Amino acid sequence: MSVQKEYDRMIEMEDNLGFDKYPLKDFDQIGRTNVRRLDGKEKASGRAEYTMDIQLPGMLYLKFLTSPYPHAEIKHMDTRKAEALPGVRGILRYDDPDLPEVADLGGHGPTAEKPVPKVAYFEGEPVGVAVVADSEGIAEEALRLIQVEWEERPFLLDVEKALETDAPLAHPEIYPENNLEVEHAETHGDVEKGLSEADRVVEFKVTRRLHTYVSPERPCGVVRWNGDYPEFWLKHQRPHENKRAISSWFDHIPMNRVEMHMPYQGGTFGGWTQFPWNQGPMYCAALLSKKTGRPVKYAFERRGDFYGGSMDEGNYHFRVGFNHDGTITAVEAKAHLSNPMWEGFGPGNHFEDNTRIPNLYAPRKVIKVNKGPNTAVRCEQLPNTMSFTLVMDRVAAELGMDPIEVAIKNDGAKGHDMQWLTERKAEVGFTPRDSLKECLEKGKAAIDWGNKWHPPGTHKLPNGKMHGIGFTWTHEWDDSCGSGEIAMRLERNDGTVSILGMRCDNGVNAETGYCQIAANELGMRLEDVFYRPHTDTGFFPMCPDSSTNTGVNGWAVRHCARLLKAKILEAATSPRAVTQRGMYPPHFPDMKPENLDIKDSIIFVKVDPSQKLSVAELVGTSAEAGPLSFHELYGAERHPFSIPLFAHAYQAQIGCYKGFRPKFCRQTHFMEVEVDTETGEITVTRVVNVNDVGKVISPESCAGQQYGGTYMGVGRALFEEVVHDPATGVMLNGNLLDYKIATIEDCQDIDTHLVETQQGYGPYGATGIGEDIATVVPALLAPAVYNAIGEWIYEFPITPERVLKALGKIEGE
Amino acid sequence: MKERTNKYLCPYCSTTFETFEDLKNHALAVHAGEPAPLPEGMIRLTLNGEKYQVQVQPEWTLNYLIHDKLGLTSPKMFCDRGACGSCTVIMNGRPILSCMALAIECDGNTVETAEGIADQEHPLVETYVKHHAMQCGYCTPGFITTAKALLDKNPDPAEAEIREALGGNLCRCGTYPQHPKAILEAAEILRDSEGGE
Repeated sequence: MSVQKEYDRMIEMEDNLGFDKYPLKDFDQIGRTNVRRLDGKEKASGRAEYTMDIQLPGMLYLKFLTSPYPHAEIKHMDTRKAEALPGVRGILRYDDPDLPEVADLGGHGPTAEKPVPKVAYFEGEPVGVAVVADSEGIAEEALRLIQVEWEERPFLLDVEKALETDAPLAHPEIYPENNLEVEHAETHGDVEKGLSEADRVVEFKVTRRLHTYVSPERPCGVVRWNGDYPEFWLKHQRPHENKRAISSWFDHIPMNRVEMHMPYQGGTFGGWTQFPWNQGPMYCAALLSKKTGRPVKYAFERRGDFYGGSMDEGNYHFRVGFNHDGTITAVEAKAHLSNPMWEGFGPGNHFEDNTRIPNLYAPRKVIKVNKGPNTAVRCEQLPNTMSFTLVMDRVAAELGMDPIEVAIKNDGAKGHDMQWLTERKAEVGFTPRDSLKECLEKGKAAIDWGNKWHPPGTHKLPNGKMHGIGFTWTHEWDDSCGSGEIAMRLERNDGTVSILGMRCDNGVNAETGYCQIAANELGMRLEDVFYRPHTDTGFFPMCPDSSTNTGVNGWAVRHCARLLKAKILEAATSPRAVTQRGMYPPHFPDMKPENLDIKDSIIFVKVDPSQKLSVAELVGTSAEAGPLSFHELYGAERHPFSIPLFAHAYQAQIGCYKGFRPKFCRQTHFMEVEVDTETGEITVTRVVNVNDVGKVISPESCAGQQYGGTYMGVGRALFEEVVHDPATGVMLNGNLLDYKIATIEDCQDIDTHLVETQQGYGPYGATGIGEDIATVVPALLAPAVYNAIGEWIYEFPITPERVLKALGKIEGE
Repeated sequence: MKERTNKYLCPYCSTTFETFEDLKNHALAVHAGEPAPLPEGMIRLTLNGEKYQVQVQPEWTLNYLIHDKLGLTSPKMFCDRGACGSCTVIMNGRPILSCMALAIECDGNTVETAEGIADQEHPLVETYVKHHAMQCGYCTPGFITTAKALLDKNPDPAEAEIREALGGNLCRCGTYPQHPKAILEAAEILRDSEGGE
């Protein structure tokens, strides 16, 4: 394998239809169980360091003012009393003459935002002023001493009201015409024609109330200036974007002088990474640290964390045409989305990606209201998975059909059937397999579907509750639009491998997975490979450790390992050194690299494995003559020597959003519930997750995303709802007493299964899993509850109150 | 200068005296041989088996003292109001929320954190690693301390008892199903090692 060839492969992966054309034959480390987590001991002992744990000598604490009104402008502000408070070290006001009009605060690409705005568009928005003080307490006291004269403006919380012609403007400075930011539609075929030709048509409306991510570690950061250059500790998924933005804040400090650290992250789930405005406090911290000459830490309050929401909040209106045999002829899905970032997402994509439905019209209105911004919160596909589940299951229910039959009848892609999809699989080089059917077989057996599924509202349990069972499915979306780089080097003395890359760990055990890939590719023992996070060496993996570990970073690791292996074998067959006294012969004289291989960290001759040399012996020892330690004494070589071995590789992959890229891996999920028709309480008794991840790298880590996502999904479905007071626009439950997330008691039995059809665009045919389950599971509660009580509840979360309302036991809202 | 109105206060028993001489005589007569009394705000704590004597402010929580002042990173602030269990430490054998306890009220108490549990090589740490009973890891130390307190009290818990004990610990990554597995295995290791001794 030549180095040039491997570089050619990296380029090849930019192909939109790329797949793994050079798979491994043996998977000895990839897919292994019982691989010890690299982060395990640190995290279990509480010694793992998070940004919130960082404390530096002389550190100041930053607090920012938040708006008490959902829409208001600062007319006047008096900060004199705060300035006089002992312990206050700096104050940054919106009218500071040194502040730029706008700054790049990062987010989803470069942005132009006011770093300290004077207009608040939602209650709780950081606005007007930031204070740094010796303690959090003093900073809070200083904020209380600041007198602000506000001009309140009319506000909007409801998307439908925001669309009315005489509605006030929610963001007049940004959207001066009306509250409709933009309208987009996914469309193909002719929906009206499809509806008119259908045997039957069903129409229904759905509401998803606002929910949020609740990352355990709040948004936070620390900054310190070392001489003329800043050093940052950040909780963020995209350090490379922060670095770019930070440099721009200070007259474009050369990038090589901005130092970044990414400690472990206490949960991220997307969210904050995409908001520019939350970086406003970071901007203030950086400025005030420079002014005061002291380190500054900022952290959101727990309540502050609640202002960023999930982008599926809104109203949905469906019209669906279908035939008696279960084939769907047309889907119209109209969404009114509340404040989504980057122009919203869904609700039609999964009908495009997964079905042969010939006619689709899925417009979305992106509407501005006076609540916090909504973005991808594990994940942006929520509007799509919800629409898909509710449409598919509703059609089955209308026909009294098994929803699994409806799934099979409509599986396909882009309006085409399975034959077409099979051809596409073969075209890009996969060996076609029917992923949905494989996922269905496993799932049906695990949940005992044949015996458990029953007509709706017919199964009363001995405990008096109604039993329900639900099913849904969709594709695996590999979020592989991205790029990343990785480096590897062999340590001297023992020949162990260090993988070099920036850490951005939020818990999916990616670093261990990278080691498995590298060990497998290199022929090294797993214990000889280690992910050595380099805080700021410039090796930025893609969105490190969030959407695209396997899809992009897995490739980069694989390329890098192959390059390094080529270099090791080349070194083993090349002269080790040429000095003034002559040449030292190769370890394997008269051999070519292709004659050798590596297994268990031992280099050996393929035709005669008894001729061998450990990688440790190859690299040689380090001693008195320096780190590389080549030393001659009286003409004799004192220490074995070979050249330093280092490799660097990257992956730049065109993702699933750029043009059409058919998705071949499917997932199926099953849920059993018990519904108490007296109290409206729902108990989730069993969930079965089946995911075709293409190729498993770490079975336990995949399962972790399945049961973990199920818990998050169940909580979202049952009770997660951020409530705003309609009279004042103030958030009412921005804390974990009044906003419930799932506890261990909120879901009983979770059974996880994996399918490996190797039809993903990641290395070895793998695809992602982390976003999927938490995104698919919430809507699955609706068909399960329908099966229990015979009523559709289309308002999420499905609270006991809404159950009783559906049963006609209490009046509507 | 303001006239001194305070009488002389005995630092041992708070009895007041008119003159310093009276106080001195009282102290020698009644308190001779007792250890010197602590200044106001000074507390004694046994933390992970080590003795501490720390000056605290009245408003400091135990969490602030342990995490911010003593530098043990394991008690994590997640919810900020006693709703999540991430800051759980074991105090005098009971799991308590360190964000809801005032440090000044903890004088004389024995406190154990995840660091201490790890340092005594308690099997929970390894079984947590083995069963992936963690993802982002932020809430994990709070689970470890809750689980250790449970096993100290109940060496052979049923799964339902474990779930009930962990009912107050939030994990946003949803690692919940792994905790009973890790705790049951640790309990078994502990019972085996005790049986073998």
